[in-house]
Amino acid sequence: MAEVQNSNPTILSAADLPTRSRSTEKKQGDHKLGIFAAVPQPADFFSSDSEGDEDLLEEPIDEQEIFDLIKNISDPEHPLSLGELAVVSLPDIFIKPTLPAVPNSPLQTVTVLITPTITHCSLATVIGLGVRVRLEQSLPPRFRVDVRIKEGTHSTGDEVNKQLGDKERVAAALENGALMQVIAKMMETCQ
Amino acid sequence: MAQSSITLLSDLTPPSLERAWLTAPHPTLPIVATCSSDKTVRIYSLTNFKLLSTITGGHKRSVRTAAWKPHVQGESVLATGSFDATVGVWRRWDSYGRAEGGSVAWDSHANADTEVDVGAGANGSSRAAAARTGADEEDDDEEWRFAVLLDGHDSEVKSVSWSASGMLLATCARDKSIWIWEDLDDGDNNFETVAVMQEHGGDVKCVAWHPAEECLASGAYDDTIRIWREDLDDWGQVACLKGHCGTVWFLDWESVENVPSSSTNTNTTGEMDEEKRPELVKQWREHHAMSGPRLISCSDDRTVRVWRRLPKEGHAFGANASATTGIPSIIRPTGSDESWVEDAVLPHAHELTIYAVAWSRRTGLVASAGADGRIVVYEERLVPDSKETTKSTSTNDDTADTMDTEITPQKSAPPLQTQWTILAVMDGAHGIYEINHVAWAKRADRGSAEGREAAEEVLVTTADDGSVKVWTFQR
Repeated sequence: MAEVQNSNPTILSAADLPTRSRSTEKKQGDHKLGIFAAVPQPADFFSSDSEGDEDLLEEPIDEQEIFDLIKNISDPEHPLSLGELAVVSLPDIFIKPTLPAVPNSPLQTVTVLITPTITHCSLATVIGLGVRVRLEQSLPPRFRVDVRIKEGTHSTGDEVNKQLGDKERVAAALENGALMQVIAKMMETCQ
Repeated sequence: MAQSSITLLSDLTPPSLERAWLTAPHPTLPIVATCSSDKTVRIYSLTNFKLLSTITGGHKRSVRTAAWKPHVQGESVLATGSFDATVGVWRRWDSYGRAEGGSVAWDSHANADTEVDVGAGANGSSRAAAARTGADEEDDDEEWRFAVLLDGHDSEVKSVSWSASGMLLATCARDKSIWIWEDLDDGDNNFETVAVMQEHGGDVKCVAWHPAEECLASGAYDDTIRIWREDLDDWGQVACLKGHCGTVWFLDWESVENVPSSSTNTNTTGEMDEEKRPELVKQWREHHAMSGPRLISCSDDRTVRVWRRLPKEGHAFGANASATTGIPSIIRPTGSDESWVEDAVLPHAHELTIYAVAWSRRTGLVASAGADGRIVVYEERLVPDSKETTKSTSTNDDTADTMDTEITPQKSAPPLQTQWTILAVMDGAHGIYEINHVAWAKRADRGSAEGREAAEEVLVTTADDGSVKVWTFQR
């Protein structure tokens, strides 16, 4: 972190980030952009959107809520949030049933696609880990958290994805003091 | 699938309040060791499902793995591996049975504590376990004696395994290495480093010893499985098994004596000629004796695969051999190299990473579990070699769940087929939590007088919320 890797990132104004009140309009607009190429089953995404109220036991958690949980995480090398840097964005968050074939299963998978500010950013793993940790600590355990680098936005995306998807490595990272200090610092800006 | 079921027998209580990684059943006593993220190991009874003692103070981070040393008389020896990069060895005199007044002894080993044999010069020889009384119960926690800390790995230890003889201990870690230690059994708890193997290209997730020979299998983050043997004084890789397209999380070996089911009491294999059965079993045993026990693996790629060694005599290595080893088929394996082939891919049953697979040494049944919270039990069946029989199964609903495999004949024998079938699926076995481990253990909650149940087994599953559950499997 001694050297800033991307000294001139594109910054979005915090006021322009999607919020609950205008989420409906915003999301529909985004759907038309056709940026779902990286998503395996967009159909599942759309249906979960409209049938999300089936879960009567608790207030449903939607994409906007996931976005709100992670948008304020600080970038490890800029005094800016992941939302402002567009590292995380609402259209790149998906919630779908983990086991579609099991109708009663409460399990849901939250997929967050991360767009690093530059394609060789070595901090991508740390950012991904921060997002994963934030969600695992905030969401009920019935959610399976899947944090990945958005396809084509990083030179070693597959490698990073494999690490982020490895439960044992994530668990071990959580017990690593030095790494957790970095993560904790990123979280300071989260309410 | 409908007639078989997995039924909850009991939880092990009280559970860990943090993630539990693995539960290792003792080779002879009705106890298990559960490894937890809270840095402890809990010892539970399979007789009454209660906590017997907690091993604390040895590890500074999560305890990830544990294994019981086999063939120790009068004493239990447990090896533990932790994210703190160390391996601990713990000892305790066997006295659980009498102290609780339960009928714990389930074989001659458990009763053998009067002849204490912990190696020459063991200063504990005089403290025979038989001298213990129930009054020692209060000291349970102190009774686990910390014997030795094996230091060598650079990062998190992921798996430990004792060889069949109990002489060798294998350990593996995120540092991509596998260490083999020899237990010198000199009474001073000395271990000697026998080998360090570093061929894997990523975290080594699991190690498992062959059920009879000094042959080690390992699975890793590099998606490969490797087989290791000692050749003149050197330990080296004899095979690299490629096929999984994701991290290999767990491995288990088939028992030496295993024979696939040839029961006709099923509707999937169709009619099997009564007279044909013994012949099939005989053929099977011949093939099996040549290639030895098979290996089963599970992976992040959501598959469970079975691997088989090609007998050395048969040099008829085809395209299969080269596909597995990556060596062009014109170059035959030399020296100690072995050729392994993928024998079967079990029917698809998991939607997320499969963390554990267990091949019962007693019944030959296979169980798998993973992040989708599901437990699946599979059975391998011998199928008559006629094509019609195989075809006829396609009218059955189970067809999607079955996978035909062919055992390549080494001589001119007709092909011998087996078929893997899903017997039962248990969804949400630990509620919403991921299952990290599954193991078969001998059932012990009923008196051993019930001879009828002598061979009955239970499944022990370990989950992210710290819970450990014991299940019966009914056919």
